[in-house]
Amino acid sequence: MSLRDHIDSLTVDRDRDVDTGVDREKAVAIAVFLIPGLTLFGIFSVGPIVYSAIGSFYAWDTFTMENFVGLDNWVRSLTDPLIVHWANMQELRYPMGALTHNLLWVVLHVPASTFFGLALALLFADLKGRRILRSMVFAGFTVPPIVIGLVLMFIYDPQAGIFNELLRVVGQEQWVRNWTQSPQVAIYALIAGGIWVHTGFSMLLYSSALSAIDPSLIESAKVDGANAWQRFWDIVWPLVKPVTAVVVIMGIIWVMRMFDIVYAAGGAAGGPNHAYSVLGIEVYRAAFRPEIDYGMAMVVALIQLFIVAPLALYIARMN
Amino acid sequence: MTSISMKDVSKYFDGGNTVANYRLNLEVDDGEFLVMLGPSGCGKTTALRLIAGLEQPSEGAIYFGDERVDGRSPSDRNVAMVFQNYALYPHMTVAQNIGYPLKVRGVPPDNRDRKIEEVTELLHIEDQVDKKPGALSGGQRQRVALARAIIREPSVFLLDEPLSNLDAKLRQEMRIELKRLQNELDITTVYVTHNQEEAMGMADTVAVMNQGTIQQLAPPLELYERPRTAWVARFIGSPPMNLFRGTRRNGSIDIGEAGTVELDGVMSEEAAVEAEGGGRGQDDASAASVLTTDARGDVELGVRPEDLGVSTTRPTSGNAIEGTVDTVEPMGEYILVNVSVNDQIVNAKMSDGLVSRGDRIYLTFDDDDAYLYDDNGELVA
Repeated sequence: MSLRDHIDSLTVDRDRDVDTGVDREKAVAIAVFLIPGLTLFGIFSVGPIVYSAIGSFYAWDTFTMENFVGLDNWVRSLTDPLIVHWANMQELRYPMGALTHNLLWVVLHVPASTFFGLALALLFADLKGRRILRSMVFAGFTVPPIVIGLVLMFIYDPQAGIFNELLRVVGQEQWVRNWTQSPQVAIYALIAGGIWVHTGFSMLLYSSALSAIDPSLIESAKVDGANAWQRFWDIVWPLVKPVTAVVVIMGIIWVMRMFDIVYAAGGAAGGPNHAYSVLGIEVYRAAFRPEIDYGMAMVVALIQLFIVAPLALYIARMN
Repeated sequence: MTSISMKDVSKYFDGGNTVANYRLNLEVDDGEFLVMLGPSGCGKTTALRLIAGLEQPSEGAIYFGDERVDGRSPSDRNVAMVFQNYALYPHMTVAQNIGYPLKVRGVPPDNRDRKIEEVTELLHIEDQVDKKPGALSGGQRQRVALARAIIREPSVFLLDEPLSNLDAKLRQEMRIELKRLQNELDITTVYVTHNQEEAMGMADTVAVMNQGTIQQLAPPLELYERPRTAWVARFIGSPPMNLFRGTRRNGSIDIGEAGTVELDGVMSEEAAVEAEGGGRGQDDASAASVLTTDARGDVELGVRPEDLGVSTTRPTSGNAIEGTVDTVEPMGEYILVNVSVNDQIVNAKMSDGLVSRGDRIYLTFDDDDAYLYDDNGELVA
């Protein structure tokens, strides 16, 4: 080691000392600001998750933890026809189980609300009065989901409902029925309602993504000779793709946590004979309705978490 | 190859409340380099967009050659445009950007690649083809935008302030390159800028615009030597022409306390110019009216800074305007003396700086170098 290097290393050491002094102060400040948030996060998020994770391996007498039972709760819940109903699934008959219903929501609701959201955003982009139109479409999403559920009940009501009235007006009376209480179609009726509400949300995200696109890019494509479809497919779509990821994941999270709309339409049973029950409903019933099965409630809630948490994490880490 | 002609083209926005262009008449010959020059908000970009087809005229007609094109979409006009911010597609590589106009026209990939190679070589960006625009410098983006514009051999080439986002040195380089490129390709070009250096340096013809109208359409030198209105005179030149406000009285121009200038000398020079230039009926008429009538009236006397001499003593003959030195700016190449004449600052370019702030001095100039504008701002002499 040359003398020069030696002196350099001394300087570095000294700098480091100074740095740690500042860092200690900073660390204290950081801790002070973090403690309130972390405390709340610990009490209301981490604590219950850990508690459920542990509790899911124990037997419960109502709300009292008894002896360790291993995977018993897990096996019982996952084989429960209320969660996954294999027999009915093979015959494509409802109920198919809450988890299946949830996945059906994902498969139908998410693509549809994403597509309609993008379509409306594109449609409104150059319209006069687009702000009013956007607000009107988005208004649905601002309404509490339980209210949406109640509104759906009105819409689908067999006598007074506007949907059945519409069917009568267009001469399709054979279709008139009590939509939310007919086991084989009710889930689609509810999903349609969910799409209607959630489209506003995707539209809003897409609208802001569209308005962030430099208009000269579109003009440039026009001058380059691209027709409307080419302009959309080559320019607009690639630029709103990141938003699509957000819209899709938020949609999946939204429907995986689905509770209110189903509860409003079908009560704690999730419809006649649990025809459109979802995981949220099963958690609620297992935890708070007799017979209380706290172990199962914890397992089902954890299943929900396992599906939602990675998605939420992905969104949080997106640029 | 295409010539462009605009006939009485007007463009209104907001249901007629905003007039962007009013009765533009413009002819651009085949292969000509026309620069639209004007301050921001003068309607030059709107005029360019009208030619491109991104806007449709409210009135009037636009022709490419003999074909009327207003009402046609941009893609039907075979124009290429370079936008101020380059408008490169951020998600495509340079090669994809450049090849896009060919792709949407269904040119097969092999052909496309060959053309891309050609134009990237021409613009010296062959090393950048796999990068995304975000990874390029401003100058490189500019080249990509140019490459994308010329790849499909457009009949009209439109540029909207293409150099304004570059630093001064790069701007100078690109200016030379653009002019060379335009010469080589021989494409009819319309170029919009607010920078008169660019306009003067590159244009075959300059259209000076203000408030939505063309103030003067002339080759750069004519624009400098014969600005047709006081507005153009104030706009062209660096610094632009000095205009002394004065009153015409008994055959001379009274410039307040600063002195008087004999009208005879200025006028005779004008008459000679008129005689040789000919053809400018309106000018002749108004010049004649100034010459013949002895009526009083406000005029502006224009002299370019480079034509003004500075003298510390009153000259015995010739024109002289009295003033006080306000500031002296040594620019290196010349010394700019700002002189206060009747509370109006005028500039004079000098080769030496023998005056200093507060000196009483006399600004001298030859009759030949003086311009006279009437109270409508029209050139009379």
